[in-house]
Amino acid sequence: MTREPVRLERVGECLWEIPRQGKMRVPGRIFASEELMAGLKDDNSLRQVMNVACLPGIVGYSLAMPDIHWGYGFPIGGVAAFDLKDGVISPGGVGYDINCGVRLVRTNLVFSEIEEKMVSLMDSLFSLIPSGVGAQGAIPKISMGEEKRLLHEGARWAVERGYGREEDLEHMEEDGALKLADAELMSDRALERGLKQVGTLGSGNHFLEVGKVEEIYLTPEAETLGLFPKQVVVLIHTGSRGLGYQTCEDSLKVMSQAAGKYAIELPDRQLACTPLQSREGEDYMAAMACAANYAWANRQVIMSQAEKAFLTVLGISPRELGFSLIYDVCHNIAKIEEHQVQGETRRVCVHRKGATRAFPPGHPLIPKAYRTIGQPVLVPGDMGRYSYLLVGTEEAMRSSFGSTCHGAGRVMSRAQSKRISRSLNVDQEMNRLGVVARYQGRATMAEEMPHAYKDVAAVVETMDRTGISKKVARFRPVGVIKG
Amino acid sequence: MATREIEHTADIGIEVEASDLPTLFSSGGEALYGLLVDINGVRPKEEVVVSVTGEGWEELFHAWLRELLAQFNLSGFVGRQCEIKNIREGRVEGLVRGERLDLKRHCFYTEIKGVTYHDFRVWKENDHWWARVIFDV
Repeated sequence: MTREPVRLERVGECLWEIPRQGKMRVPGRIFASEELMAGLKDDNSLRQVMNVACLPGIVGYSLAMPDIHWGYGFPIGGVAAFDLKDGVISPGGVGYDINCGVRLVRTNLVFSEIEEKMVSLMDSLFSLIPSGVGAQGAIPKISMGEEKRLLHEGARWAVERGYGREEDLEHMEEDGALKLADAELMSDRALERGLKQVGTLGSGNHFLEVGKVEEIYLTPEAETLGLFPKQVVVLIHTGSRGLGYQTCEDSLKVMSQAAGKYAIELPDRQLACTPLQSREGEDYMAAMACAANYAWANRQVIMSQAEKAFLTVLGISPRELGFSLIYDVCHNIAKIEEHQVQGETRRVCVHRKGATRAFPPGHPLIPKAYRTIGQPVLVPGDMGRYSYLLVGTEEAMRSSFGSTCHGAGRVMSRAQSKRISRSLNVDQEMNRLGVVARYQGRATMAEEMPHAYKDVAAVVETMDRTGISKKVARFRPVGVIKG
Repeated sequence: MATREIEHTADIGIEVEASDLPTLFSSGGEALYGLLVDINGVRPKEEVVVSVTGEGWEELFHAWLRELLAQFNLSGFVGRQCEIKNIREGRVEGLVRGERLDLKRHCFYTEIKGVTYHDFRVWKENDHWWARVIFDV
């Protein structure tokens, strides 16, 4: 860990810089309001921004979004771009849960049409979508051959087996599959862990939330996305499950050796990395792509199961329900992208760990339907308050490698949150907040209660004020299922 | 021997102190299980032999925890007691007594995604062994 004191200079209303010092190759930059920064000054996350700045081939700045908090290796909320020729790839900059992400589904319904059936609806969702530790069995166990096809095809694998529709694929980053995937690089353990977990939420901060549109900030953008006041929407937050965690773990062993082989000095062992242009780097990118594709297939199956629950409980037709995907974002990933660096267009590898891509209007990598408004960005809050939909901007391309925040960000350790929750009746508290909650583990709920998180509104406001992304709509949760 | 939880914003960490290396490894393993479930409710019905290799005590300790977590993730096996049968530079062999996770009987706490290297240390101080490890949850 970098030991130098953290020197912090304010360079904008919501922008702070850590000048180059020690072994930092570039400065660090943190997007945060004064209030959010005040909460970070004693936190190890700023030191983690400095650590990332020490890695070979980093370009521009080591960045952090306003939901930054102490992670392992990279801070959560960290963004860093690396030159393709001289730079590195670090699994610690992607995380264990590769392609953890969020998808937002719209319906034709307003909340008053489902209000009386919320309990049945949440029971049905909880029964059809396995959650919690080792959750499995949403769909019949697949064979190893099928799993390898899934790892190459991503969300398409699910659509072709009846989980969702062809048009869903257009509303995901990369159309729901990274082409670099090579399933032959996956370990037996990773494959074994993936066999039974397709269509499962898992534990921790993952959830499925039924929400209602509470406020619209930009009407034309909301209309383009098919959103209207009081509308029922569904947010799904999960990732690549055990297969992804195992892929990260497998790669860390290789990376530790590679760092020695390529003489890369590491300020934190969790930042173990390898040159992008090395066999180890290429293998990681191909394995990471498999896990990313698994995550897209996972969220696709969950969405399809959720549609079944709505149809069964409400007794309406698919046409009346209008369950369709608005967008699906990744917030733990590394991608090769084109960006402007010191006035020239360069292809770089952008690591986003707890950060979301936020490409501007007109960008060729966003769906044609959204090309006039910019890429939708989904920012869940804690399970009791609200979540946001934003759109990406040109400012994001100039200032943050086309990236923005991904969530509220924790302010409290899990142990501390549990201590506070001891005096709370979790069920009563969720009822008080107007949320029908179904969950497997009381301990997980206690760790994830709203008091453990920053107010996501403060995070989103910072990004809106800096022009990095613009607020389009806010959703209020009315039902949640968790592990 | 003592184990304490480290306050970490997003994840969970433990610090273990032991009078010798076998106790460090057995206590570290039991502490890991204690983060997953309430081990008071776990019966020592089955025995699983866990053997791992790793260069240096740090790498060996990391590999030991990784393997225990892998056994849990692959077969649902959760330990109540860890007994170190053999430990030497580069290799540890332990016997873990426990049973398969049963959510109807066991009080499950949290899913652990991985054993991180962030701020990870194994060291000796004043004739005692210490380990510090943060888990991704």
